[in-house]
Amino acid sequence: MEDQTFDNIEIAPLSAVLAAAHDFAAALAETAQFKAFEDVAERFRRDSVAQQAMNAYQEKQKTWRALIMLNALSPEQSAELESLKNAFFDQTVVQEYLKAQTELAALCQFLGDILSEPTGLNYAAACGVSCCG
Amino acid sequence: MPTTLSPQLQEAAESLINNLLASEAFVHYQNAHARFKADQEACDLMDQLAKLQARLRQKQADGEVNQAEIDSLRLLQQRAQRNSVIMAYSQSQEEAVNLLREINKEISQLLGLNFASFANHATC
Repeated sequence: MEDQTFDNIEIAPLSAVLAAAHDFAAALAETAQFKAFEDVAERFRRDSVAQQAMNAYQEKQKTWRALIMLNALSPEQSAELESLKNAFFDQTVVQEYLKAQTELAALCQFLGDILSEPTGLNYAAACGVSCCG
Repeated sequence: MPTTLSPQLQEAAESLINNLLASEAFVHYQNAHARFKADQEACDLMDQLAKLQARLRQKQADGEVNQAEIDSLRLLQQRAQRNSVIMAYSQSQEEAVNLLREINKEISQLLGLNFASFANHATC
């Protein structure tokens, strides 16, 4: 591996940085949190009941988006939306998915912090992630 | 609950950090940051600019910004753009950010999800 020397500092070539990133991702993929998330994500994808419940809820949200933003849903509409929401979130696989997602996020946030601190840049913010994802 | 990393993940994280800090982009960034911090004129100018921008943002929300204030902001921005220490710092930061994005792409491709999204603390 060739390294450039720049003002007596040994510069790591891009290939080395990307290889380290690859190894980091591979190590993260071996964690219990990632494997659990991957497993439940696949089960969720294959669960037709959960998928139907999700689609029904999302479609209704989409249809009534303007009303929701204006807080202008009728009591009947609000009740219907709440019912669809509960039908989705009550699915066991959905609850397991959210739990696994939360646990993986906690690990990734910890890793993001330890990447951010020495560099002086917020990793997530630098990668263009805002509070809305 | 404190997070404990596996030895493999700890080692991989440390290696990534070390390689990042030794990259050309981050060596430039750290040097430019140090030069900026050591330059009183540059620091004062950026401080003035930040304060004026914050003040005008608030006034804009209240519908109270006038042309003279906008002109003041523009003048300060032009002074910042003519300051070589500030511009070098800004440019180096952009390059460091670009490297982080490239790394995130590498990590995310292997994982099949956006690592930065999961690493983000902020919520709406």
